[in-house]
Amino acid sequence: MTNRTNGAPVAESTKGIRFDAVSKWFRRKDQAVHALSRVSLDIAEGEFVSLIGPSGCGKSTLLRLTGGLLLPDRGTISVRGEAPAEARRLKHYSFIPQQPALLPWRTVRQNVSMLGQLNRRAGVAGISAEAQLELLEHIGLGAFVDSLPKELSGGMQQRVSIARAFALGAPLMLMDEPFSALDEITRADMRYLLLDLWGQAGCTVVFVTHSIPEAVVLSDRVVVLGARPGRIIEVIDVDIPRPRHEDVEDSDAYHEVVARVRAALKEGSAPR
Amino acid sequence: MSDVDTRHDEAGADEPPERTPHRVRRALLVIAPFWGLGSFFAAWELYVRLADVRPLTLPLPSSILRHIIENPGFYWEHGLVTVQEAFWGFWLAFFAAVLVATAMAHSRFVERATLPVIVLTQSTPVAVLVPVFVLWFGFSPWPKILTAALFAWIPFVANALTGLRSIDEDTHELLRSVNASRWEVYWRLRVPQSLPYLFSAARICIGLALVGAVIGEFFNSSEGLGNTARVAQSRLLVDQLWGSVFVLAFIGVVFVLVLIAVERRVLRWHSSQDLI
Ligand SMILES: Nc1ncnc2c1ncn2[C@@H]1O[C@H](COP(=O)(O)OP(=O)(O)OP(=O)(O)O)[C@@H](O)[C@H]1O
Ligand SMILES: [Mg+2]
Repeated sequence: MTNRTNGAPVAESTKGIRFDAVSKWFRRKDQAVHALSRVSLDIAEGEFVSLIGPSGCGKSTLLRLTGGLLLPDRGTISVRGEAPAEARRLKHYSFIPQQPALLPWRTVRQNVSMLGQLNRRAGVAGISAEAQLELLEHIGLGAFVDSLPKELSGGMQQRVSIARAFALGAPLMLMDEPFSALDEITRADMRYLLLDLWGQAGCTVVFVTHSIPEAVVLSDRVVVLGARPGRIIEVIDVDIPRPRHEDVEDSDAYHEVVARVRAALKEGSAPR
Repeated sequence: MSDVDTRHDEAGADEPPERTPHRVRRALLVIAPFWGLGSFFAAWELYVRLADVRPLTLPLPSSILRHIIENPGFYWEHGLVTVQEAFWGFWLAFFAAVLVATAMAHSRFVERATLPVIVLTQSTPVAVLVPVFVLWFGFSPWPKILTAALFAWIPFVANALTGLRSIDEDTHELLRSVNASRWEVYWRLRVPQSLPYLFSAARICIGLALVGAVIGEFFNSSEGLGNTARVAQSRLLVDQLWGSVFVLAFIGVVFVLVLIAVERRVLRWHSSQDLI
């Protein structure tokens, strides 16, 4: 281990994401909440990594730090060799928030194209308008491209949100519990839709979730976090071959990984 | 054969329902406002006739209407003056409010510095400022325009501020994730989000701007419907007094209807337009 002082720039060759002893506190009045404690993690380019852990363990905070929406108090984060804020300036990110967060005054098609328009002004092109339509077609929204968000069901809105993210063609995708507002059945469908789109796009994904099955089905690695302070308990490899379909949920390998994640979560919540 | 046909029909007839099953009900809904207005004036007319009220106390609505119809040029000319004053006052208030609210929504410091001034204008009975405006601008349209603007200013600035502020946090974070500038967040998110607030303020402000213009005319003017009403009052021209009131009410209604029509187009996406 080299002795890095906080905030010092790190020379990076990796195209992925590197967290190096990242800590974060939130101050509320005179009290400091230790949201993340010495988180170190390497995510390779093109990898799908899930963050799972109890509520309040700092998953969203870690995601915001990755996206440069928050700054760490200690440690460094490098994203494709850059600081997160710089990566944001270079338009490296796509983000899928917990709520669909569609603009209600824009049609489905206009919602999907908007972020790309902003990026294009900065010289970063996403996928073309025709490709966007194809994408909407592909995810079953072909008949709704000119509908307003209020005319869609919750699941359809979340699909638009996913299409919007993939339309950017960005190398990094950050998702904060994108399926948590959906019912169990829609949610299960959404996993495979996401896998399908990700397989075509090949971007790096950091995916926050509360659902163990979701994390295992989707990921190359599952990062189990514990709370108070937020920290990494264990990083679990998911050795299930891709492409994955519904039947992986019946396989022994799947059940084994689910059991390991569950055990790690239990360990993390045990009093220290 | 006909048996089979019927069954086939039943099985295949899962089509959308006809669009006009409630034609009568819909027609009634269209008529309702006119019916309400008509009854109001009919009741008024009947009461005045039956109770034999003196015209000075309350004239017949029919004679007020006759006075308006017999003097169209008179009311048109003075109505136009008042409408112009209210119109410019309305837009002056609108742009000032949006400008101030934009500055306030972007800086806590500006907000904290400006808020006391706004509360001050809010709690002052602004009508007392009209003589001041007259002192400044004398015999010009400006005292009236400024009064109209001052009346309309408060709802506009309050709603513009709420609208520009109340943005969806997830959407804001989404825009920040692609490094959208403040300017882009303003035009793509804050402004559209504040439109419903601005429209509901505008509905109130149309009336307020007219009130402001009329009060301005009470103080100092040789024209406008505020002036015709004041002159009529001093000379006991009851029909002209009430005629001015009617024309003012009519102007207000027309502008609100125009606004509603615009709102319905612009805010098609907003839930406030679902029940109409
Ligand atoms: N802006 C903030 N100000 C103060 N404290 C914060 C802030 N954001 C997060 N926290 C605190 O940091 C801790 C981690 O929050 P975070 O939102 O990252 O948790 P999470 O793992 O995403 O939880 P959940 O699963 O419920 O979304 C919590 O204790 C929370 O109270
Ligand atoms: Mg969270």
